[in-house]
Amino acid sequence: MLPPLWLTLKVALLATLLAGVAGIGLGWWMARRRFPGHALADAFLMLPMVLPPTVLGYYLIVVVGRNGVLGRYLDQWFGIHLMFTWQGAVIAASIVSLPLIYKAARAAFEDADPRMVLAARTLGASELEIFLRISLPLAGRGVVAGLMLAFARAMGEFGATLMIAGNLPGKTQTLSIAVYDAVQAGNDAQALWLTLLISVVCMCVLMASSRLLQAQH
Amino acid sequence: MAHPVLDIDLRATLRSPGRTFTLDTRFQSSHTCTALMGPSGAGKSTMLLAIAGLLPQAQGHVRVHGATLLDTSASVNRPTRERGVGMVFQDYALFPHMNVEQNLLFGVRRMGRPLVETERMRVDALLEQFDLQALRNALPRDLSGGQKQRVALARALAPAPRLLLLDEPLSALDGTLRQRLRAELAEMLARVQVPTLIVTHEPRDAELLAQQVVHMEDGRLQSPKARLAQDGLAGR
Amino acid sequence: MQRPSFFARALASGLCALALSSTLHAQELTVSAAASLTNAFQAIGQAYEKAHPGSRITFNFAASGPLLAQIQQGAPVDVFASADQETMNRAATARLLTDGTRADFAQNTLVVVVPSSATKTPQALQGLAGADFKRIATGTPATVPVGRYTMEAVQKAGLTDALHPRWIFGESVRQVLNYVARGEVDAGFVYRTDALIERDKTRIAFTVPTDNPVRYPIAQVASSKNADGARQFITFVRSAQGQDILGRYGFSKP
Repeated sequence: MLPPLWLTLKVALLATLLAGVAGIGLGWWMARRRFPGHALADAFLMLPMVLPPTVLGYYLIVVVGRNGVLGRYLDQWFGIHLMFTWQGAVIAASIVSLPLIYKAARAAFEDADPRMVLAARTLGASELEIFLRISLPLAGRGVVAGLMLAFARAMGEFGATLMIAGNLPGKTQTLSIAVYDAVQAGNDAQALWLTLLISVVCMCVLMASSRLLQAQH
Repeated sequence: MAHPVLDIDLRATLRSPGRTFTLDTRFQSSHTCTALMGPSGAGKSTMLLAIAGLLPQAQGHVRVHGATLLDTSASVNRPTRERGVGMVFQDYALFPHMNVEQNLLFGVRRMGRPLVETERMRVDALLEQFDLQALRNALPRDLSGGQKQRVALARALAPAPRLLLLDEPLSALDGTLRQRLRAELAEMLARVQVPTLIVTHEPRDAELLAQQVVHMEDGRLQSPKARLAQDGLAGR
Repeated sequence: MQRPSFFARALASGLCALALSSTLHAQELTVSAAASLTNAFQAIGQAYEKAHPGSRITFNFAASGPLLAQIQQGAPVDVFASADQETMNRAATARLLTDGTRADFAQNTLVVVVPSSATKTPQALQGLAGADFKRIATGTPATVPVGRYTMEAVQKAGLTDALHPRWIFGESVRQVLNYVARGEVDAGFVYRTDALIERDKTRIAFTVPTDNPVRYPIAQVASSKNADGARQFITFVRSAQGQDILGRYGFSKP
């Protein structure tokens, strides 16, 4: 019962990290600039949240499958196959989590007082320093909330993950897939234990996150 | 030939849905502190932003004691962080997640380098000068209005700017508190002797804090007062 | 008199509708069948509906294991056809079947397929242990019959350890076929009848001899609400017409 747990935690943490970096960067960028096509870009970034996971899974297969748009080059040039690997699961989980972080980060950056940035500029700081020392900390609360949501989403990712990473015990069988597997095999006892395990882990994540958000104040 | 303290010629057009605002001003000053007065919507804050380099559309020139911050005809447009302009905002814009000392340090030290002794001494001097030693570790939300004003001013002066811009520093206050803080501000400005441009719509502020007054309305300087600015050049 | 006559007519039509609907209801069948039977049973379904006008068959295709789990959890299924005896045995032990209705109706062969773009074709099971076959697909042994047949054959050939790290498990034999067709795996274990479906994208490398013949049983589910219909369908599958259709898709007689 434990291997799916470690695998799920590993995949969810890495996916949150990936989606976090991308989501925060994109959220900051979209919050400060208005350009033609801004609304279109925003809709595109939110799309994975709305598309059915199986549709996302299919898109992923089309892109990173061995004969896929990108996949064929990954295979030919680097010998990298993303299907049936935990790395593929990380990619699937990051894509579904990205909109959650992006939305939270963008709202947090937009809420921030623009005069803080102006003041920081007059005091001599570079754009990078302003982002790291002023914008990001001030957006902190909202961003952390987004990261927590993203982690929970990544932990529960099922549809797209199953399509890209498959159901390989010990290699890509995450907790949610393990539950599905147990139910399919008629193994109710196993399914129940796994479900309880996931529930306990999720409760811990939620409690830790609310404690973290309180500490910021 | 001595340079005027301030030599400003600024033009800009700002467009927002349903509204176009045109800034078109020219003035010079030989006084340390100049007040920029006018009704709200006159463009006073816009002027400050343009002088600070925070208005990309600005055309013309900005010179402080002969140093050119902006001169579009000569393709000179120094980015904000190089202009040496200190700014104090209406609501002070103190960084809420940093204490007083860290706010001051932000103006003195850049990230990624360890603190140098001279920089530490500078912050200590500022804290003393503005009577903030006891509040060194306090967070902005725990400070009174007057204390915030002192911190904001100290922070703006931390990088030893060549020009100080104050955007309606006393607007949020009234009554005796305003009088008291106005007096404190006058005293601090007199002490630091940095060229200052202060935006206000209160004549009493202008009287007490500045040696010269420039009036603005609808993006332009008002002619009779512009003549006053000419008088200013001749010295009062 | 108008009113009684109106009432009488309304009552009569109501009763007629009720009778008609219950007759229609009696002609609806739900059949859960192993994934490998997808194409053959869809054809059988059409033929059955033509032979029994008014009847309507709903098919539910998946791996035999999950289908059994569904029936155990109370899914309203009338007929169950699995790809191996073991799953049907489990159903019988769990008292899910109507006594005396179980019968074998078809036989299949286990084969190894490779993508049609593959350069290396294994000649026998031993060939799969070579360096060219890093990923080999079959069904999840616990729930998919083709996976079980595969593991038995692999164990008999003494290749369990050699092939252990290469397995990619599919949820059903059709998913295994799909993996091979897409070229995501280097080889896959499917039934001959499945390989014939994807003739363009895959080709059969060799037939895998199995100790247990791949024999398909069919049975009536005990909780069926349409016992007559279930019996009729099973009879049809085993009839000359049904066997003929199965034969067209590559199945052999049981």
